[in-house]
Amino acid sequence: MAMNERYSRQVLFSGIGKEGQAKIRSKHVLIIGAGALGSGSAEVLTRAGVGKITIIDRDYVEASNLQRQQLYTEEDVAEKLPKAAAAEKRLRAINSDVEVVSIIGDATPELLEELVVNVDVMMDATDNFETRMAMNDVSQKYKVPWIYGACVGSFGMTFSIIPGKTPCLNCLLRSIPLQGMTCDTGGIISPAVQMVIAHQTAEALKMLVEDWNAVRTSFVSFDLWRNQYTSLKMSKAKFAGCLSCGEERSYPYLDQENMTKTTVLCGRDTVQIRPSTAGEISLERLAGQLSSLGYAVKGNPYLVSVEMGEERMVIFQDGRALIHGTKDLTHAKSVYQRILG
Amino acid sequence: MNKVLFFAHLRDAVGEEFLTVDAGGKTVAELKAELAAKYDLPKMDTVMTAVNEEFASNDEVIQDGDEIAFIPPVSGG
Repeated sequence: MAMNERYSRQVLFSGIGKEGQAKIRSKHVLIIGAGALGSGSAEVLTRAGVGKITIIDRDYVEASNLQRQQLYTEEDVAEKLPKAAAAEKRLRAINSDVEVVSIIGDATPELLEELVVNVDVMMDATDNFETRMAMNDVSQKYKVPWIYGACVGSFGMTFSIIPGKTPCLNCLLRSIPLQGMTCDTGGIISPAVQMVIAHQTAEALKMLVEDWNAVRTSFVSFDLWRNQYTSLKMSKAKFAGCLSCGEERSYPYLDQENMTKTTVLCGRDTVQIRPSTAGEISLERLAGQLSSLGYAVKGNPYLVSVEMGEERMVIFQDGRALIHGTKDLTHAKSVYQRILG
Repeated sequence: MNKVLFFAHLRDAVGEEFLTVDAGGKTVAELKAELAAKYDLPKMDTVMTAVNEEFASNDEVIQDGDEIAFIPPVSGG
């Protein structure tokens, strides 16, 4: 296809130009997650003509994804295609100029350290803070910028993280939020997804054309239903004692010790999950959220039991959970993080 | 007095978009603890705080007239 024509409108845009387009063409973007944010980011960047896109995801396409995950079709659901595979197929059909690599699997710190080699920008499209904190450490260790993005309900947020320049995610959070709201507990509307994608991919394009002065320095959060839009100044947010980006850094989230522990329980079709940080979760609140979403929930003061399709998950107050009905560690972790973020 | 704004599920939990409270002289952590107890809010320690639209840490002291916003990090994607 004639290159001139294909990217002509983007080249005409003063922020990109011919030079910028050539830079975009020479870059490699790593997208972590191929859900709602991953589908959207991947489509924008593929159409923009990025040289190489690597996309990783551990799940398969389900009917409840179709309302917002723009790369997938009913056929993908019927075939239970892994999201990474379905995404690759669609992205190749959109733009054959782009080298698309898909990886079906869990974005562990170990794998992220392998994948980040020769990557120019990492896009956050995950659904949990554990992977984000690992991305954040990888970003600092290998000096690759990444763009945090997340949404739930009509609410979303995004922040560009450039090693050596901006604060990092660990500066802001200091620990992993144990009961983060997820799309499976708080629902989600597609416009909130698209708004985060628009911010994230605009930032990515600025980075790919190396227009570093244009990169947004504020933390954006918005609520499309309540008509709120806030930009937080982050000039005071860098934390000197940060273990990910400070002087005495140890990259704590690349350490297996700090990872969610998954174990198959012997002789039972059950996986046990122990969260990386111990802490109490509010079982009453969790049970309320889940039953208002239509899940069959039972509980007592010590645990909540919820039926989720073919599996049953039992969650204890310290955040530990048993996933009954599977021996697949990756799948069990995915089920867990869907509910507990 | 201080205007305190709430985002995402915190707004639902409080039932108002903002509250007016007297938080002058308190730290962000103290205000979080007070509001968490009063409105039965979920875990507040990792909730991000803005004072006058600027990121603030938990030990920052709030001045009279400062506008506070609580923004819970969300994980959906």
